[in-house]
Amino acid sequence: MNSKRTLATAACAALAVVSLAACGSGSSDNSAGSSGSDKALSTVTFWDPYPQYDDSSDWAKYVEACAPAGTTLKRTAVPNGDVLNSLTTAVKEGTAPDVVLLDNPAVPDAAASGLLVDAKTAGIDTSGPDANLAGPGTVDGVSYGVPIGANTLGLYYNADILKKDGVDPASIKDWASLDAALAKVKAGGDGGITFAGISGEEGTFQFLPWFWGAGAKLQDPGSDAAVAAGQLVSDWIGKGYAPKSAATDNQSASWDLFLTGKYAFAENGSWFAKAATEQKFKAVMMPIPAKDGGAAPVPTGGEFAVAPLQKKDASAHYAAANQIIDCLVGSGHQVKTDDQLGYFAASASERKAQIDSDPMWGPWANAITSAQGRTSDLGPDYTATSGAVSTAEQAALNAAGDAGSVKKAFEDAAGSLQ
Amino acid sequence: MSMTLLEKSAARRPARTGDATARRRRLMRPGVLAGIGFVSPLVAYMALFYAYPLYENVSMSLHRFTRATYVTGEAPWAGSAIYREVIASPQFWPTVSHTATFVVVSLVFQYSIGLALAVFFQRHFPLSGVLRGLFLVPWLLPIIVSGTTWQWMMDADSGVINRLIGVFGVDPVWWLNTDHSLWAVIIANIWLGVPFNLVILYSGLQNISPDLYEAAAIDGAGPWRQFWSITFPLLKPVSAITLLLGFVYTLKVVDIIWIMTRGTGASQTLATWAYSMAFGKGASAVIKYSEASVVGSILLLIALCMGFVYLAVQRRQEA
Repeated sequence: MNSKRTLATAACAALAVVSLAACGSGSSDNSAGSSGSDKALSTVTFWDPYPQYDDSSDWAKYVEACAPAGTTLKRTAVPNGDVLNSLTTAVKEGTAPDVVLLDNPAVPDAAASGLLVDAKTAGIDTSGPDANLAGPGTVDGVSYGVPIGANTLGLYYNADILKKDGVDPASIKDWASLDAALAKVKAGGDGGITFAGISGEEGTFQFLPWFWGAGAKLQDPGSDAAVAAGQLVSDWIGKGYAPKSAATDNQSASWDLFLTGKYAFAENGSWFAKAATEQKFKAVMMPIPAKDGGAAPVPTGGEFAVAPLQKKDASAHYAAANQIIDCLVGSGHQVKTDDQLGYFAASASERKAQIDSDPMWGPWANAITSAQGRTSDLGPDYTATSGAVSTAEQAALNAAGDAGSVKKAFEDAAGSLQ
Repeated sequence: MSMTLLEKSAARRPARTGDATARRRRLMRPGVLAGIGFVSPLVAYMALFYAYPLYENVSMSLHRFTRATYVTGEAPWAGSAIYREVIASPQFWPTVSHTATFVVVSLVFQYSIGLALAVFFQRHFPLSGVLRGLFLVPWLLPIIVSGTTWQWMMDADSGVINRLIGVFGVDPVWWLNTDHSLWAVIIANIWLGVPFNLVILYSGLQNISPDLYEAAAIDGAGPWRQFWSITFPLLKPVSAITLLLGFVYTLKVVDIIWIMTRGTGASQTLATWAYSMAFGKGASAVIKYSEASVVGSILLLIALCMGFVYLAVQRRQEA
């Protein structure tokens, strides 16, 4: 467990160094020194946020094979948290890559800051993906890219523990029955639920199913429904259902805790679906329950393929971007790309084929269809709201059940956005 | 050590350079041109890597920079408005007080533990060299490793520290929560800083003549008296530089705090606050370049003030 956690933290915290390095290496690029208009490119550049795949990985080779004819593709993996900052610098220096896979909540911020070229100008076809998954790529009615695929959150449970403690998973339909199940497993001497409450976007992502599931809206993070969601997770800490480390755990760390086999539930992503099938205990996924029953709306995760603004040889760069993106997510290519990443295909028809071919994905089908884009309601303003919600959740977790503090935390969050 | 050598040459200098005409004549020698030639790379380096970033930092704190600034180049002049906003923000004074606690408590413990260990290791005993080497481990470990280990040891539910204090009947502490996180990172930072203090103070001790201790022993001074009347006063110049460097290092600590708590709650210091705003990480999701440079400039000012305090202390010691 430790080494995994160390690695995850290492990746997160190598931030400063990497972002500096990225500033430096951003200029090793395409068509250096070219002048005048639209020279043919010999090298195209591609950024993705998957440093776990090195240059010899299948993913790297797969991407490199997408180079437009007559060019070679140079892939750079940038840690997810640093992509936007590195891109900002690269666009400023005129050395932006041809294609970037940008985390979906960052797309509106990047678009509003003028870092991206819109899909129409670049000629990118955005008609394929489902509306709920394509949502984050549309800002003020203008589309900026296509989802490379999508993932979302579910509630994994350890079937062995539930059986031992006499909890029927089918009985968990709303928050009350979930809390009842948690109380039972705690009484049985087992751990309750692991989740990632870490400060920042990752924590907000994991909090949103509860936030939305209570009926809260991102436009009003101070509402009673928002407070109810905060109270839910706060009580988990207070009653000992969730480990206190949830306040500092990221998704890998909380997953590692679940894999110890000591916890009954884990809120985590579809990207762990395959790992879940390979455990010593039986790990099963169920949709995250909403407060009053039914499945809670879950946020979509995953990256968008976008074309950054180019200062030189713009049309040649955009044409190259278009070809690369079509090669990765054009119709007929999505499943192959997304199987590599453990993502769902973004268009319904392709996703159906993908889900049908592997029973592991079955329980996820509805979750991904009903998932919501994080930025769909607020656009570029999401970033600030996400920060405020994260701060409020942190305070709620620290309050360990104290209702007054939880209420104040969310009211403060709403106040800080005015 | 080098400190004392520097002081000696400083003491000698007035006598040699007293003659003003000799100095003027020397300035006009052709060798001076060569001297300037040799100095210019250093000056260029300083300008490029120190003066320019410093200028950019201050300029950024006086203009409103957003992410879009990088594309449009528009950064309206704000004057001191951003400084006033940062200082008026509800986070400012609590953050200053966390920073002060973090720096002062860290320094006091790092220095006193470092000094105690240095004095302890001055008496050579079997394996003292090996032991002294082992004390350097915190310094040599990558902070990502030691920070994560501390985070793991301070885990509220299954951490080894809580289990240890449980043996003595103390209730488990939620080390990394809002209220306790400042103390958690201070503890880790003290551990991290002791080797630095140990190394510098130990080498400072080597410069104190053993004769003094012998003479004191003959006069009947005990170890306690020897420490306060010989070791401590003679170590003052070394202590001053250790504390100054320690102050500057501690003031700008981001890594250990960020790894353990992401600067949440009471562990937010000026440095982690600036970091989170500059990169849009942690609690500050929106990138705030200008506000971050304001905090950066404030940190620089504090460090600069400490530098002057150090100079004043040194001058008083020489006088």
